[in-house]
This record gives sequence, structure tokens and C-alpha cells, in this order.
Amino acid sequence: MKKWVRRAFPFFLICIAGIAAVWISIVYFNFISQRIYEDSTGHLSEIYGQVNRAFGSFVEKNWGLLDSWGDYLVLAEEKGGSAAADFIAGEQDYWGFSEFYFLSGDERCMTLSGLASGMALGGSWDSLIRQREPVMAGETLPDGREVTVFAVPVPHGTYGDFPYDAIAISYTNADLAKSLNVDAFSGKAKCFVIHSDGSVLLSTQSGGSVFNNYLTYLRAASDLDEAQLARLLSDWQSGATGLLQCRIGDVSQCILYQSVGYLDYVLLSVVPQSAVSAGFLAVQTTTMYGLAAIFLLVGAVVVALLILRGRKLSRKNRLELQSRERMFDVLSNSVDDIFLMLDVRGGSRVDYLSPNVERLLGIPTEEARSNIRVMEKCAINGDVFIPRDELEAIPPNGNIYRECEYMHQTTGERRWYRMTVYRAVIQDVTKFIIVMSDRTHERQMNQKLQEALDAARSANEAKSNFLSNMSHDIRTPMNAIVGFSVLLEKDADQADKVREYTHKIKASSQHLLSLINDVLDMSKIESGKTSLNVDRFSLPELVEELTIILTPQAKAKRQCFRSYVQGAPPEQLIGDKLRLNQILINLLSNAVKYTPDGGNIEFVVSELPQSAPQYVKLRFEVRDNGIGMSEAFQKQVFAPFSREISSVTNKIQGTGLGMAITKNLVDLMGGIIRVESQPGAGSTFTVELSFALPEQEESESWFRHRITRMLVADDEEEICLDIRELMRDTGVAVSYVTEGAAAVEEAVRAHQQGEDYHVILLDWKMPGLDGVETARKIREQTGTQAPILVLTSYDWAEIETEARQAGINAFLAKPFFVSSFWQTIKPLFLAQDEQEAPAADAAGPVMEGRLFLVAEDNELNAEILTEMLDMEGARCELAVNGQEAVEMFTRSAPGYYDMILMDVQMPVMNGYEATRQIRASDHPEAQTIPIAAMTANTFAEDVRNAMDAGMDGHLAKPIDMDAVRALVGRLLARGRAPSDRTENKEGEPN
Amino acid sequence: MKTKRLALLLVAAILMLTSCGGDSGASSAPVLTVMGRKSDMEKSYMTSIFDLYEKSTGNRLDVISYEDASFETEAAKEFSAGHIPDVFIHFHNADLNRFNVSEHFYDLKDESWVSDLTDSAEAYCVDREGRLLGLPFWENSVSGCYYNKTLLDSLGLKPATTQAEFDVLCQVLADVGYTPICWPASGCTWMFQFGLDPIFADDPTLLDRLNKNEITYSEIPAVTDMAQWIEDAANKGWFGDSYLEQGWSDIGPVLSSGGAVMTFIWDTWFYTDFAAGGQYSIDDFALMPVFMNTVDGGTYEGGNLNMMMVNKDSEQLDLALEFLSFCATPDNYNTAFDGISTVSCFQGQTTNIQSQMVTNAEASIAERERVSTAASKIVGYSADDVSAAFDSLLRGKTDAAGCVRMMDDFRIAEAKEQGVEGF
Repeated sequence: MKKWVRRAFPFFLICIAGIAAVWISIVYFNFISQRIYEDSTGHLSEIYGQVNRAFGSFVEKNWGLLDSWGDYLVLAEEKGGSAAADFIAGEQDYWGFSEFYFLSGDERCMTLSGLASGMALGGSWDSLIRQREPVMAGETLPDGREVTVFAVPVPHGTYGDFPYDAIAISYTNADLAKSLNVDAFSGKAKCFVIHSDGSVLLSTQSGGSVFNNYLTYLRAASDLDEAQLARLLSDWQSGATGLLQCRIGDVSQCILYQSVGYLDYVLLSVVPQSAVSAGFLAVQTTTMYGLAAIFLLVGAVVVALLILRGRKLSRKNRLELQSRERMFDVLSNSVDDIFLMLDVRGGSRVDYLSPNVERLLGIPTEEARSNIRVMEKCAINGDVFIPRDELEAIPPNGNIYRECEYMHQTTGERRWYRMTVYRAVIQDVTKFIIVMSDRTHERQMNQKLQEALDAARSANEAKSNFLSNMSHDIRTPMNAIVGFSVLLEKDADQADKVREYTHKIKASSQHLLSLINDVLDMSKIESGKTSLNVDRFSLPELVEELTIILTPQAKAKRQCFRSYVQGAPPEQLIGDKLRLNQILINLLSNAVKYTPDGGNIEFVVSELPQSAPQYVKLRFEVRDNGIGMSEAFQKQVFAPFSREISSVTNKIQGTGLGMAITKNLVDLMGGIIRVESQPGAGSTFTVELSFALPEQEESESWFRHRITRMLVADDEEEICLDIRELMRDTGVAVSYVTEGAAAVEEAVRAHQQGEDYHVILLDWKMPGLDGVETARKIREQTGTQAPILVLTSYDWAEIETEARQAGINAFLAKPFFVSSFWQTIKPLFLAQDEQEAPAADAAGPVMEGRLFLVAEDNELNAEILTEMLDMEGARCELAVNGQEAVEMFTRSAPGYYDMILMDVQMPVMNGYEATRQIRASDHPEAQTIPIAAMTANTFAEDVRNAMDAGMDGHLAKPIDMDAVRALVGRLLARGRAPSDRTENKEGEPN
Repeated sequence: MKTKRLALLLVAAILMLTSCGGDSGASSAPVLTVMGRKSDMEKSYMTSIFDLYEKSTGNRLDVISYEDASFETEAAKEFSAGHIPDVFIHFHNADLNRFNVSEHFYDLKDESWVSDLTDSAEAYCVDREGRLLGLPFWENSVSGCYYNKTLLDSLGLKPATTQAEFDVLCQVLADVGYTPICWPASGCTWMFQFGLDPIFADDPTLLDRLNKNEITYSEIPAVTDMAQWIEDAANKGWFGDSYLEQGWSDIGPVLSSGGAVMTFIWDTWFYTDFAAGGQYSIDDFALMPVFMNTVDGGTYEGGNLNMMMVNKDSEQLDLALEFLSFCATPDNYNTAFDGISTVSCFQGQTTNIQSQMVTNAEASIAERERVSTAASKIVGYSADDVSAAFDSLLRGKTDAAGCVRMMDDFRIAEAKEQGVEGF
């Protein structure tokens, strides 16, 4: 209340001052107006007093003239002639009257020209003739002109024959009125000479008088009442002078009347009141305007000063405000908190919004300032702002808060804020100040910590699981080994039991070995000790090998396994074939493992665009329609020790390291691996790797072997087209058909035209005639000796005999590679001596009778190896370290040893060094004696180290006799016959 | 009165003789065809003179009349078909032009009765070629400014004698709240010719040049002065507030109620249409000249008269001329106009009743009266056209100069339609 009074007080003061000023002005101007009116009416009376006197003088003058002329006219008439007329005419010219009359006693008159007529004289004849008094009267002439007649009695005389007793002169009223005209009062004044009864004698009315009786006119037209009119008439009749005001129509008039002084004539002046006071009013008005102008000027100056002061203050305030806002803008721009002030009256008007909103949320600041609701676009959950009723519920100077999550409108970045709303009252207006404190970093930190914690927990859990699994997995075969070893010992005399137990012990040992290999692989990868063994390899061979390996596994589960090569990728690549094999076998084995019986597995190789010409980028896809993976597991499928827990996977053996190893190998090879999967729908693993390309070799000349025409038959036309495309560069013309019967017809047609195909490639399984039957009919109907090959993705072993009987020369595995194709048909065209020696399939004869120098520091291993070699019909001499091995070899006679099996890690001298010394020795067979490493280190670098040291092969421990047989067969197939065992010149080694 | 009595005896004697003549006389009696507007032919003085003629001469009159609305059209058809009556009765106005006056009608200027015509009546009947077209046998009237004398007297005012006084009078009346002039703009077609008459009557050369298309209204300042005065008067409120909606039938009520003080009309109107119902009667009115800013002293317009015109090619030309002479005989026309309120057309006219208003203003009338000139003498003049031009002016659609141009356009178009030489 007090505040309201304090604020309203200046306003009341101004109002009171204004009212007082108006009241003083009214009083002042009323006083001035009254004085002006009095002065004006005095002025009016004075002017028309002069007019009245002038008119009176005029009347006196005319009567005086007529008096003076009377005697003369008598004399002139007595003289006769025209003396009288001449005299009057001269006087008329001088005085300007309109006519001269001789008046007889019988109310007749005659002009100087002798025109006689009647004259009314307004009923004044009696006064004139009998009372001998001068008269003044109005007269209307026959022509309508109105005149005023002045007449005086004169001695009786005659003019011509016309007897007269008075003479008169007349003036037209129009002329006479001119003498009454007053220039004052802006020409708005009218002057009348009237009889005391109101009848108008003459008037100065512009245009002529239309007034007959002014009293009557006033009675009808003015606001005077009868009493006033009676008083007016009385004044006129008494010759009084007076001034009154009345309204005639819409105009306020001043009526001044005064007796002319002759007879009962009255001089009546009618002037609009506005004209009476016009001059003074002009002064008054000027004064008023002057004062008003001064007031206005002073007021304007005061207002201007106030405005200037206000503007100055406003500018200062604005400057301060702008400075503060600017400073706040800068401050807010340097932090990630958003500041907002809202005025919720009539909606949500933004008083302030820190400009960093654009940086932090991607919303243009001005847009948000004009409509704060646009921020709702950023809100991830719910409204941006607290509802108005909640805002209103905030107590004065209180606050509330809530957590909000936003998304940057352009970058999609998520940000978290803690929104605190303060209620503040600023200049009696409730405002809401909102501080949006950025919690993004804190939130992200928490998230990372949580993730790390989760990861740690997961890793711990994984390791626990792993240990648990490993414990289980290791114990299982170990149990088998231990258990069956006990049984073996117990039943050593029962050959069947021994074979059964040793077989199971062997299987358990193999499984245990694979577990240990995986663990070691992973361990080595994780420790960063893995390196790649890069060498040239054949992509077709790789695919073929994989197909050979996987087909039996898939077949065992009645799965359909198919390999495809899309496009025409280069066949010769440079890379680590072993690791690539490991990657793909892992993926394909998993596909077989996690795809139910009867499922489908596809292996697809395709070439990706690659800008560098010396490289090729290949994509390997392994698709299955197996059990698939959950989305969550997909994220950690490549993490070590991870296995999805389900009723299915629990039944499948695994360490959980396979995919981790695969991922690490892909990373090591600079590639990428990804997985797409849906539970129950299957998975697709994609590996993309780049390989260097070897220098181009001169291609085999197909022409040299007279191969220019080739017939392909496959029910999948796409395969036919691929083959034709792949064969384009060879210069061989490829024709194709999609049915066996059509192939027969085509072959017959070509044969009849003497254009037999040089090679015929048939799909095994085609609708109608299959490949075998088609080949049979072609041979029968054409008798051609051209090679016929069967192209198949199936195992052809079961039909091989029938196929060869039907005339099929060879089989070719799908997918079709030119190099594989060439390799297959080349022997068919080459002479027999170009055929390679048979591989060391016959292992037994290779081993039998051989003498091996075995360097092994472990006595147990040495014993096992000795026994195993013995089982193969071979013998060995043992060295306990490398030094001893060197000495034994160098001391040996040439041909004494067939081969050296060298452990790598040995005391005194390791295997590598021993090999180097052997190769560096002067023993005749120092360069030729085959040396094979025996080591648990089975990685590529181990192999490479062995080769670098001069070894010829590599056997992984524990020693697998199959691998020993294969290696020995390969190394000794170079033509080295079993040693004739010449005596060691330097004696038997120890 | 003696003369009148003798004439009646003579007529009675003739009638008796005629009746003694029996049917054979009647059946062989010549028949004159007389054509005129139906309402005109039914006027009492017309039927009276027709009856008197037939009874006096034994001749018969075949009076052919058409309804007022279709008269001009039907009569024109008859003329076109060659069925021109022996006697044709028509006003001397623009519509007469369509009947090819110079070709069909006899010049009566040498007839014996011409000297008995009043000057204004004779002047009315003379065409612009100086031929006397017909015998003015019609109720005559004086058009002027008829004012409410009683009301004026009560205001202490007197009638105006000049244009300036008239303007002052109007303003004084307006100042005290009266409507000075009743100006029924809707259908007010006759007033404008009052203002135009003195322009062309006082200066026949102007009329001559106008009719030869050597000059236009726009080139005559007085015409524009008149238009300007009318516009100013309307703007000053001298016509009142609702004058644009007022028409012919409003004049009587307005004047009788004191709703307006003056109007421009003719005296016989007071006896035929005034129908006083308000506080003022005929006796309250007096006559002063019409002031329309074309002549300082004002003007009166002489009567617009129906003329009896004779077909000069008639087989009964002599009989037709005798019929006119019969009508122009003082006894006969005094018989016909006995008791009729009209200004005299004949100097020997004694039985008619002349209004007191006209009588009181006789001196002024004698000085200021003009024969109806505009309507009857200006080629292509049409009261409706002029009224239409002023309607545009008073409704603010054009100014005074524009109004006059419209008058010219209408007039010239009408003259062209009539095929008048020079247009």
C-alpha cells in the first residue's frame, strides 16, 4: 500500500498542478474576456455614436440646403425661364442627391422635369405642411427603387403650374447606406435607420435590404422574449440609447441603438459579437497562444530534459546491461552450463538465454530466444521444462531441480544436464532463473567407470569361466589319460584293451594339445610376440584346402557346405597363408560347430575395390543359418574367454579363445572383421584383408598345348558365365550349355563339323543327364579323346571309379579357378616324364631302416621318440644338447645318418645354433643332411627361425608320427635312399 | 355583361336553327379532325369550345385523343402514315419538332385574331422563323417565385427585388432556420428554363447562334453562372436537407406546411395541385420574380400554352381556319374560359379569373416577364435532359462547368437526332 502511495504521489502532484493551472487560466481569461467585452462595446458605442452624429449632420445639412433654396426658388420662379431648374441641377451635381421634388399640400410632387406623381412620405405630410416641420421619410419609387426623402416647408410657390408648399430632395437608399457603412468589425456590421416602430428606412445590408420591420424580425428570429422586445420598443420610442445581446440563428449579435435625434428615427447597429471583440480577441488569442507557447516551450524543455536524462540513464543502464550480458555471454561460452531466465506471464518469454546453447545443443540462440519450446526437440526424455504449475509451486527464493538428457541437433552428441530452477522476484515480477549444469563429463566418466567395472567384472568372470572351463576341459582329457593309463598298466597283457586304451589316451592327448595350443597362441598374441610369415600363396589352393578340410566336418553333420568365388580375384597373393588359414578355419569350424544338423554354410570370396595396383583387397564371408548370437554377445564375441551361455553352446566344447585369436590375427594383418547375426537365424562373419600381389609371371600358353575350344555344361548359368569370364584372358573360346543332353548334342555337333572341343567341363549334378552320364554319351557318340573333367563341390570319391569308366579324366573342385583348372588338365597334356613323382604316401617304406640323429635334452621325450621310431622300423642316436649333436654329426661318416631331428631349446647349445654349426661344418653332408626342428614353438616365426638357421622342416611337439612320416617322406623323396649305414669312421656316438 | 348575354342569345338562336335543320343537315355537316392529348382534350374549356363550335356551326369535330403517355408516339405514327388531322393541338416545346412544323402547319400570322392576342401569348406561338404556329387556346399562367408572404411578413422581411437581395433573403431565412426554397430535384424539370429564358430572350442573337450550333452553353457565361448559383444554393442549405428526394407531389405539402418559404412555379398550379393541407393557404402566397443568377432583376416566364395548329395541306383548310377564328372570337373564348383561373391570352378575355398573386405583381410582371424561350425555342432542348445534368451536379458527380457540358452534349445529340441543319 505504502509503495503504491509512494509511486502515485508524483502523479497526483502533477494532476493537481495541472488542474490548478487550468483553473487559473480560466479565471484569468474570463476576467480578460469581460474586460475585453466591455472595452469592445465601448468601442462599438463610440464608433456608432460618430456614425449617428455624422448622419445627423447629414440630415441637418440637407434640411439646411433645402431651407436655403426655398427663398431662392421663389425668386427664380418669378424670374421665369429655367433659372430654378438650372440652379437645382447645379446643386444636384454638387451634393449628389438623386432627385429634387416640389411638394404640394395634397400629397403630390413634381420633379424638376415636370413629372408629377404621388408621394406618401411615410405619413409625414401633416408634420411637413401643417406643422411646418422638416421631415425625413422612406419612399419606393414606381421603378422599385427605394429612396430616402428629405423635405422642408417653404413659402408657397409654384413651379410651372404646380403649386408647392414644400421642397424635397431624395437619395437612393443604396447611396445613403454608404454613409452609414463602417469599415470596422471586419465588414460584418449592419446599420439600419428605422422608425421607432421598427420599420426599416434604410439599411447598409450588403446586397440590399430585405428587412421590412426589424422589430418583427427580432421577434421571429432572435431569442429575445416579449418583455425584452417591449423594453426595446419603449427605448426606441423614448429615444433612449442602449446595447443588448441576443442570438439570431446561430450567431450571437450585439445590437446598439441610439436616437438619430430627428423625429422618431433610431440608428440601429447590429454587429456579431465575435466581430465586436475580434480585435481584442485577437490580442487575447495571441496572448493565450503566446502563454500557451511559453508553457509548451517550458514544458517541452522540461520534458526534453527529462527525456534526455532518462535516455542518458537508460543508455547507461543499457550499457551496463549490455556489458553484463556480454560478460555473461563470454563466461557462459567458456563453460558448458546453460543459463536461462524466463518470464512466464502470458506464456514463456525468454528474458535471457546464454548463447552457448547453440554450441552445446545445436539450436540457434535467436530461435531459442524467440521460442524456448524449440529446445524440446533436443530433449530425449519428456519435456524440456518443468510444467508451469510446478514452477508456480516453487516457493519465493526457492528452487527445484531435475536431471535431463539432450541430444545435440547437428552432431547427435548426447549431453546430460542437471536443471535447477530458481524462483526470483525482480521488480515485482516473478522470474524463473534456470541453470542447466552440464553433467556430461561426469556422466561419461561414470559410464566409463561403469563400463570398466563391467569389463573388469566380465573379464574376471570370463577368466573365472575360462579357468573353470579350462579346469574342466583340461581335467577331462587328463582324467581320461590318467584313467586309461592306469587301465593300460592293469591290462597290459591284453592287446585289444591296450589298443583301445592307447587310442583313447591318444585322442585325449590330442584334445589336450589343442587346448594348450590355443592357450599358448592367445598368450603369445596378447603378449604381442606374434609375427606374420609372409610368402606367396595360391588363393585357389587355399580355398581348395579349406573345402577339403571343412567338407568332411560338414558332411558329418549333414550340412550343406558351399564355396563361391565371386568375380575374378587374383589367384597368386602374398600373405601369411598359415594365419589366413587359421582365421578362416576358425570361422568355418565355428560355423559347422554352431549350425545344427542339416544347416547351410557358405564360404564366399570376393574382391573389393582397391586403389593401389600392387595390392588386392579380398572379402571372405562365412555365412550360416545356425543358432546365431544375441546382440549383446555380438559385442563381445571377439573378447577372449567369451562364450555365450545357452543350452546349446554349453554342449559344445571350446575355450572361448578361437574368435579372440581370429580377431587379433585379422588386426595383425591390418584387416577388419565383423559379424552380423540374429539368434536363431544364423550369423555372417566378414573378414576383409589386403594382400600384396606378386610380380606377373608369364602365363602358360594354352595355345602351345592346342587348347582353343572348351565346352562347359552346368545347370547354373551364372557359373558358366563366370567360367567364360575367367577364361577370357587365356584365349580359349568357351561355349556353354545348361543341360547334360545339350552338352551331348553340342559335342556331337562340333565333332561332326570337325571342330571337337579340346576340353569338356561338366557339372556333376545336373537335372536330366548328370555329368558322368553326359561324359559317357559324349565318349560314345563322338569318340573324342579330349579331356573331360567333372566340376563339383561334392566329394567325388564315391563316384570316381564309375566316372573314370565313363571316360572322365579328372575332377575339379568348385569354385572354378583358372590356375586349378590348368594344374588339373596340364598333366593330361604333358608327357609322362613331366608328371611329378608320387608323394610320400608310402610312409612306411620311407621310415624303415632310417637312422636319425636325435638331439633332445628331455629324457622322457627322447625315450618316447626312440620308441616311436622303433615302431616305424627306424633307429636313432641321441644327443643331449646341441653341442653333442654337432660333434656326433661331424664325427660321423658321410651317409651314416639319414636325417637329424633337432630339439630347439636345449642346454649348452640350442637347436638353431647347432644347425648353423652343422651347416657350417666341413662334413661332406653338411649342406645336404635334412635337419628338422622339434619344438613346442609352432608359430610362424618359429618355423621361419628354423629355416633361417638352416633347418629343412619343422615338427611340433609332442611329436606326431604322421607328421614325422610326412616330413621325412618329403625331405627324403629328393632321392636319398636309406643309408647303407657305412661304418662311422670316427666311431659310434655316445 | 351585355355582350356576353347577346352572344349567348345568338348561340341559342343558332342552335335552334340548327336543330330545325333536321338530321339531313347533321349528316351532311363537314367534319373536322382534331388531334390532341387526352387529358388536354378533356379540359372543361376545351370541351366547352368544341361543343360551342359544333352547336354554333353545325359542323362536327372528330376529336382524336391519345393517352398522355403515348400521345407523342401515337401522333407521330399518324403523321408518318400521312394521317395528319385538320387541327393539331400541341405545346410549343421540343416535342413539337418531331411533327415537322414548317412542312405541315399553316402560318397564321395574317389571321384577323392575331391582334387580339396578348404579347406574351403571341410571342409564345411564334417559331424561330417568325411564323405564327397556332392559336394559343389554353389556360395561361405566370411562372415566377411564389413566396409565403405571411411567413415573410412575420419575420419582418420583404420580397427581393434584385438577385443580391434574393440571396440575402435566402441567407437570412436560412440563418433563422427556414428552408428558403422548395426545390424538388427529383422530377424538377421545369425550373431550369426559368433561369435560361432571360439569357436567350434578352439576346436573340445568342439563341440564333446556339440553334445554328455556332456556340454552346459552355461559351455563354450566364449559363454556367446559373449552374454555379444552383450548386451554391444547394450547398448553403437553401434547398433544405432532403431536396434530392423531393418531387412534384412534395411541393404542395412543403409550401402549405411552411417547410419552405418559396418555390419557382406558376400561378395556376395553386389552383390545380396545391391542395393546401397545412397552415398556409393560397392567400398566404405572393409572387416575385425568379432569381437564378442570370438576370439581376429576376424574371417571370410567360405561359406554356397549347396551340391549335392547322394542317396547311388539309382539304378543309378554310374550315379549319374558320374553326380557329371561331375559337378566337371574344364571345366564344369568354364563354369557354368563364370562371377559369388563368392569365389572359386574349386582350378581350374578361371572364377568366386571374389570381390575386398575379394581379398584385402585375407591374413587376409587366417589367420582367419573358416569353417561354428556352423550352420552345432552343433546338434540342429537353427539360428532362437538363434536369439529368443538374441531377449529376447536385449529387456531386460533376461541377458546374461539367453540368453545362452535359447540357450541351444532350442538346447537341437531340438536335442531331432531329437532323437539324448545322449539327
